[in-house]
Amino acid sequence: MIELGVLALRLALAGAIYAAIAATVGARLRRSDVVGSSRAAAYVVQALVVLAAAVLLRALLQHDFSLEYVAAYSSSTLPTQYTVAALWGGQQGSLLFWVLILTSMSSLVHLQNRHRNEALMPYVTTTLMTTAVFFLGLLVFVTDPFQRLPVAAREGADLNPLLQNYWMMIHPPSLYLGYVGCSVPFAFAIAALASGRLGDVWIRTTRRWTLFAWFFLTVGNLLGARWAYEVLGWGGYWAWDPVENAAFMPWLACTAFLHSVMIQEKRDMLKMWNMVLVLLTFTLTIFGTFLTRSGVVSSVHSFTQSGLGPFFIGFLVTVITVSVTLLVVRRPLLRSDNEIDSFLSREAAFLFNNLLLVGIAFATFWGTVFPVISEAVRGIKITVGPPFFNKVNAPLGLALLFMTGVGPVIAWRRASARNLRRSFTTPLAMGFAAGVVLFALGVRHYYAIISFSLAGFVLTTISLEFYRGTRARQALMGEPPATALAHLVNKNRRRYGGYIVHVGVVMAFIGIAASSAFRIEEQRTMRSGESIEVGGYTLTYKGLRHTDTPHVASMLAEMEVARGDRVIATMFPEKRFYKRQQQPTTEVALRMTWREDLYLVLGSYDDQSGLMTLQVFINPLVVWIWLGGILMVLGTVIVVMPTAAEQRALAAALAVEERGLAAWSQ
Amino acid sequence: MNATQTDIEESLTCQCGCGLTVHACNHLQCPSGIPLKEEIASQLALGKTQPEVLSYFAGKYGEKILSSPTTTGFNIVAWVTPFAVVLIAAALIVVLTRRWRRPVPTGGTPSPPIAPAWRARLDADLDDFDA
Repeated sequence: MIELGVLALRLALAGAIYAAIAATVGARLRRSDVVGSSRAAAYVVQALVVLAAAVLLRALLQHDFSLEYVAAYSSSTLPTQYTVAALWGGQQGSLLFWVLILTSMSSLVHLQNRHRNEALMPYVTTTLMTTAVFFLGLLVFVTDPFQRLPVAAREGADLNPLLQNYWMMIHPPSLYLGYVGCSVPFAFAIAALASGRLGDVWIRTTRRWTLFAWFFLTVGNLLGARWAYEVLGWGGYWAWDPVENAAFMPWLACTAFLHSVMIQEKRDMLKMWNMVLVLLTFTLTIFGTFLTRSGVVSSVHSFTQSGLGPFFIGFLVTVITVSVTLLVVRRPLLRSDNEIDSFLSREAAFLFNNLLLVGIAFATFWGTVFPVISEAVRGIKITVGPPFFNKVNAPLGLALLFMTGVGPVIAWRRASARNLRRSFTTPLAMGFAAGVVLFALGVRHYYAIISFSLAGFVLTTISLEFYRGTRARQALMGEPPATALAHLVNKNRRRYGGYIVHVGVVMAFIGIAASSAFRIEEQRTMRSGESIEVGGYTLTYKGLRHTDTPHVASMLAEMEVARGDRVIATMFPEKRFYKRQQQPTTEVALRMTWREDLYLVLGSYDDQSGLMTLQVFINPLVVWIWLGGILMVLGTVIVVMPTAAEQRALAAALAVEERGLAAWSQ
Repeated sequence: MNATQTDIEESLTCQCGCGLTVHACNHLQCPSGIPLKEEIASQLALGKTQPEVLSYFAGKYGEKILSSPTTTGFNIVAWVTPFAVVLIAAALIVVLTRRWRRPVPTGGTPSPPIAPAWRARLDADLDDFDA
């Protein structure tokens, strides 16, 4: 059975090499049969990778400890859902999982475009399959998931306890869908450059894929934050760890692209810049995988470390070289006939939005690699930790929040004084008022005041948009308010879905600002029956409880939570001891309300005396971050739903290209 | 816990491998974080100021223990580069868009723009012709 997996991977590698070469050669020679065979090969590659993944999954579920991978990342007592998650819990498995998603997306792209984009598709095949060749090559020659142990292990070493968590089940797949999703727009960009068809077609064809990738990058980042919040137990959700940064940077670049692409669609500008952003996004996803897998920068998340670094660097250099060469060669075709008319225009606002997003990505990149630079220049290892990223990125982030309010409502080309007055007078007043009220209430945390003022400004601009749109429909169509609002969103899903995403972003900003500025923290050693008061809560320690299963032993502290005289909850902060890995983990007890989270961590304890140390965090408005995330998801779903207008625009763009070619051949 | 103790804990990195600051690390009986917290308290008890305590730790454990780069010497590069890059890029945007806006002097009537697809076809055919 295992041999089948080995064989499948080798054949998949051969198939991917064939598909990558045949597609481009076929296109150059204008041999549609050769191009067709490359497409068939790409489907076969996917089938083979699915087979290989199924073999590995079967080995995991059957606890086949003769396989090194199964013995290293699972055990006979590991619950089934985590045994499935072990498929992406270790290095070889996660690379296989990556190719599985990549080849599945490749099949989907081929299926979608079987009668479309005939000029672009061969190069898309070559790009996707070349990426697959890289990962399959690693799996076949460097880090084999089907490696046998000399002697079968009697028991597995188990999955890292930190990964045995609900959020970890869905965080990596989501992030991978996002990462790999970015390779589809990348493949189309390369195809557009290679074929010289640099019109709107590639952009309109890949818009939905870009949104798909962005959606999963967003969800993946949020789930990762949620995991850190509940599992690492230090009271926070983001530590600017290199691997977190690795997931954050492509998200920033992808967000920049989603915005600037609108300028190309509406004004036929920034073609070159859009290309750069797509190529950058893909490069950052590979760089992120490199950071996670190479161990070149130390990280809590480097669950596996290996000698894969040089291979990834080689691949990155190849990607960058090919991209830059194509960009330089095609530069004349990427020129635009239009120009920026004024700095008070939506085009300019989007340019500055892009500048800030890419600026934050750069600052994050810079901080992540600076320890390596410092060691190379001075020979001294230094640490670039959370305080650095917070200080550098906070001002850039706030500027970006401001632009979130400006970009969508400022006029195209040149904003008139009337447009500016109409769009910004009320929002600026509301933002200013929010700041004044907070100051009057005694808030002296200036970053928080600025954040909340900007949030007020942005939320008002968005509310006004909804309000004015609904009013206009009411007046024109005579619809009741609810119907008018629904129709308003439905008629222009891209615009109003985008606004909903922005509301989500603002909510996340509010949550981040409040929880960073106004966190309450207390640590106390308590004996049974003792109470402490923290932030309006009375916490009474009722004693320790013990539970035991063959897989994990737990110690729980029973905490009665009261506000005033009223008992509102009983919470059980927990320490777990995973028997195979001999590692204690923290299980946070969490009580979420829209106002604040009560977050309890059991520190040390003494079973005999019943003494225990409790850490209490009161984190205001954290739930706003998750609610903001849900709104971002909801907004994206609205944006992605196809509209008739969009289909017409794509058809028109295709027709323009076809007409151009037809006219030429006559 | 007073503000200075917390501030210093935030300015030092726990050496247990967690990658967090000394303040954030909550490992059970952490072999690095807990002694460091005590050492900070004893240094503060000597009446030292925050910068003095931090330079004591940097001297004893190496610069690696500080959770962000210092603002001296080569480390300034770490702090300045992100802002410098953003500002230079902003200036570049302004200059480039200004240049776009300037009318390009042309002799005679400008030729109509060629559709990208046509141009691609032309390139391809010229390539074929050359070959």
